[in-house]
Amino acid sequence: MIRLGNMLVSPGEGGVYGERTLDGYRVWDPYRSKLAALYTLGGGVELTPEMRVLYLGAANGTTVSHVADYVETVYAVEFAPRPMQDLLEVARRRKNIVSIMADANRPDEYAPFMEAVDLLYQDVAQPNQVEIAMKNIVFLKPGGHLILMLKTRSVDVRQDPAEVLAGARAGLEQRLNIADVRWLEPYHHDHAAIVCTLRE
Amino acid sequence: MLQRYWFGEIDEGGCRGAGTDPAALAERAAALRTGMESYVPIDWEAARDCGVVRTREEYVDLLRSVCTVLARQKIARAYQGRDVELLQMVRMLDELDNVINLLSERAAEWYQVTNPSFSRKYRSLPAKKMLGIVRKGARGGLSDVADEIERLAGTRTRLMREVSARADEVMPNTSALIGGLVAARLLSRAGGLATLARMPGSTIQVLGSERALFSHLRGGTPPPKHGIIFQHRRVHNAPKDVRGRVARVLSAKLAIAARLDYYRGEAVPEFLEGAQARIDEAGVEA
Repeated sequence: MIRLGNMLVSPGEGGVYGERTLDGYRVWDPYRSKLAALYTLGGGVELTPEMRVLYLGAANGTTVSHVADYVETVYAVEFAPRPMQDLLEVARRRKNIVSIMADANRPDEYAPFMEAVDLLYQDVAQPNQVEIAMKNIVFLKPGGHLILMLKTRSVDVRQDPAEVLAGARAGLEQRLNIADVRWLEPYHHDHAAIVCTLRE
Repeated sequence: MLQRYWFGEIDEGGCRGAGTDPAALAERAAALRTGMESYVPIDWEAARDCGVVRTREEYVDLLRSVCTVLARQKIARAYQGRDVELLQMVRMLDELDNVINLLSERAAEWYQVTNPSFSRKYRSLPAKKMLGIVRKGARGGLSDVADEIERLAGTRTRLMREVSARADEVMPNTSALIGGLVAARLLSRAGGLATLARMPGSTIQVLGSERALFSHLRGGTPPPKHGIIFQHRRVHNAPKDVRGRVARVLSAKLAIAARLDYYRGEAVPEFLEGAQARIDEAGVEA
């Protein structure tokens, strides 16, 4: 990852969402992007130029655009029409984003378009986040990584976030090795990042 | 195992490409059904061996075009629903209300400063009358603002009629039970007719009172009896001791009405008659 001072940046054409640029690099704000928060806190998986990434919950393409600056190809999956319009616009200017309008709950909808990927990144506001991740590791290469941004409030608002996290860990450990777990405080509240590796 | 991908089919016998026209590929891909048990992710080189593309760059380019065509079609389909515009209309209406109230409050404050002897106390001055006084009494910027507020209020009234008429058309059964405006607000809170039609009556009953609902679920405060549906006279005019019952019966019927609206799209008189009678009955004090 590229840092200028302690500021996380990405190389690429600016002006996607009004982000600041610094010495020709795009500033990647940890308060806006959960993935940026994870890297700023010292976690995450190093993004490399030969990587292929499946990005679930692409939304308006803000974080997607930064990921695309680092890697070879991003498969960006988004379900809602309104953010999809923005995502398509981002993908028009970035030739390594494949934007797919589909439901992350139904991997069979986009399976005919998918290659095996090195990194599965998931940031979806659904109660069954772990189940969704497990359904999608079919696209992950052996030894590939999963970064799950666990939105504990989407799982159950009434449950203690720490308990939600414990439940999610147990679910993931069935097929993955958990490498790192951290809360995204102070950038995002009640969000945990879980970094896992798929067992060979 | 036969694998069907966006660019063609692959099995032991080799590969059959499906051409290189994005629109045709998209049409074919939209009809693909994939069983995940025997699924294997694509190796892009297979597409090269098929003769569909020559390089990795071409592969990603063509895939991007196909996916973009599909996404645009899906977006168009999602916006085709007759409820989509109504949703924006009713949200704009509520936003106008907010803005008009804020501006009127501020104009009144301003006016009071220029007329130290003026007060709204004991005069039962509704915002509209107040605005009239400001328009007459003030000069310059303040009077301009008051004119604008008046104009906005006119816009709001016209939009309200439009919302009501559109709701009658898009959700005839729901509107017949609770009025077009409240029906449209329910739609807006639910996020669409499809979502509303899938909600249980108990959820519809408390739509719009989420704060009270969650404070109840978290900490045992009393549960809310009604959310948006309180805006209908049937609920807010009902005597206090039967209001909960009216809200419950009404929302149960609304759930059915929303499903009729979504799946049939026309008023169903037999249902409405029975439902109206049942709701009226719930409002009678024992």
